[in-house]
Amino acid sequence: MAAQLFFNGLVTGLLLALPALALTLVFGVLKFANFAVGAMLTLGSFAAWVANVQLGMPMTAAAAIAAVTVAGAGLLADQFAFERLRRRGSITLLVASMGVSLMIENVCRFFFGNASRGFDVALSRPIRWEGIRINQEQITIAITVVVCLVAVDVLLRFTPLGRAMRAVADNASLAAVRGVERRTIARLTWVLVGALLGLAGVLAGLDRSIDPLIGWNYQIAIFAAAILGGLGSPIGAVLGALTIGVAEEMSALVIPTNYRQVVSFAVILALLLFRANGLLGAKAARK
Amino acid sequence: MIAYLVTIAILVSIAALVGLALNLQWGQAGLVNFGVVGFVAIGAYATALLAPQIGWFPAMLVAGALSAILSAGLALLSIRLEENYLAIVTIGFGEVVRLVILNEGWLTRGALGIADIPRPFASLGQAIGGDTVFIVFALALVAVVFALLECMARSPFGRVLRAIRDDATVTAALGKNVFALRVRAFAVGGAVMGIAGALHAFYLTYIDPSQFTPIVTAYAFMAVIAGGRGSNFGLLIGACSIMALLEGTRFLKDFVTVIDGVQLSALRLGLIGAGIVLLLILRPQGLAPEPKRRAADLLSNDERAA
Repeated sequence: MAAQLFFNGLVTGLLLALPALALTLVFGVLKFANFAVGAMLTLGSFAAWVANVQLGMPMTAAAAIAAVTVAGAGLLADQFAFERLRRRGSITLLVASMGVSLMIENVCRFFFGNASRGFDVALSRPIRWEGIRINQEQITIAITVVVCLVAVDVLLRFTPLGRAMRAVADNASLAAVRGVERRTIARLTWVLVGALLGLAGVLAGLDRSIDPLIGWNYQIAIFAAAILGGLGSPIGAVLGALTIGVAEEMSALVIPTNYRQVVSFAVILALLLFRANGLLGAKAARK
Repeated sequence: MIAYLVTIAILVSIAALVGLALNLQWGQAGLVNFGVVGFVAIGAYATALLAPQIGWFPAMLVAGALSAILSAGLALLSIRLEENYLAIVTIGFGEVVRLVILNEGWLTRGALGIADIPRPFASLGQAIGGDTVFIVFALALVAVVFALLECMARSPFGRVLRAIRDDATVTAALGKNVFALRVRAFAVGGAVMGIAGALHAFYLTYIDPSQFTPIVTAYAFMAVIAGGRGSNFGLLIGACSIMALLEGTRFLKDFVTVIDGVQLSALRLGLIGAGIVLLLILRPQGLAPEPKRRAADLLSNDERAA
């Protein structure tokens, strides 16, 4: 029982890793907490659903479409909202991101209604290994996320773009002096973040049913993961996501499953009280 | 038609109370509260549970007090933090309140909701008929809260809150206890949200968890931004214009037949989101901007002449 919950928790954690990474990247490079992270995930789910179910594409093509759609939405939001408000400070930006979140969520609701939907994928029997039941979807989620994380890590560490992103995150004016265009880096960050959230939306849609609140249900857990890892730290976000995933699933042993979401909230509160910089972060949360 | 206008007036009153509270917390003190709906729900449930036992007025006071205590508690825990963290903690609080209301059926009757909440001056209302008595009550409540908050905004407490919002470091350097002042502002805002919840419960006489979604929070933010952050008078205009916009879209249904109920609500909420973003970009000072007082304005005319 505990082993099964631990395993499920790891998979949930991997699923959370992509949006948590997206949140932390936006925070690092663009310096605000993007509250539209859940809604963008929802958009990814619906884009993939349209491609997969209505247009009859295979899941890989649907995932690509989801990634492109959300990246596009991120670019639009950046161009028309976030960039214009950049100089007004992080509070204005986070309130604006809440507005963007409402817009995206309700565009999905307008076209697809509140009904629950699912991808058109063949059902397969779960595999049993050492008494643990492993679903096909869980394997897909784990492999996709691990591949994505390795790709993002390589991108951030070894490519000119990654170096530029880290430079802007560290000190935007200094990066500008060295010829790194903040604006271009911001756009490329949104493309990367959008792709991550689009894929996360596809994986979430494999894991549970798709409705306009699918992303919102992950929102607190995503923030908990990113804060746990220290906002702005990519590796921290991944470790935070795994911890939150395991903590949420294992909590079923001690508290009613209805209160699973409270675990993330409790983790945030405890962290902010006792270790405000997160596990790996350097950025001070206290004033 | 009259009945319809009465409904709108009462909805505006509730929205105005919630908005006034957020205007104190976010507009004047600069503290983001994304969990507005949680405090409103606590006020509504406290009223619904207590009003039949102890009468409407004590119940409303308890609703405000309970909400204020929880606000203060949350503020004590999280208000030292940077805005981003306060925002997520308050969102989390809102969700926790929703989960507790849904799952603690023994107290809140879960998804079934609580019915037969007594209204203030119910017997008088029956004698006169219609919602006349209730609308007077709602407007009077808004007037009282507005007057109190406006006095507070003009008092030294209000001034120091705005000073903290504009520059916390300088205010702290001037010897003000920034932390305690912020907690107090958050608690007063919470109390007003609790009272707004009470009015909500009195008006509908039936509450269930589906009435308390994050949308309530979004409306409050929209009202504050539309009216002008920090301005109580602007807030009233903001609350009216938002309700006009929301109720106006209701008539769309009559003209555009292809839109169904879900689409209509999606359209309205999407408009609120777009409205928040557009107002922030195009008219950040709002419709009735907060008056910017200069130091010279505080002196009397003689002193200025001298």
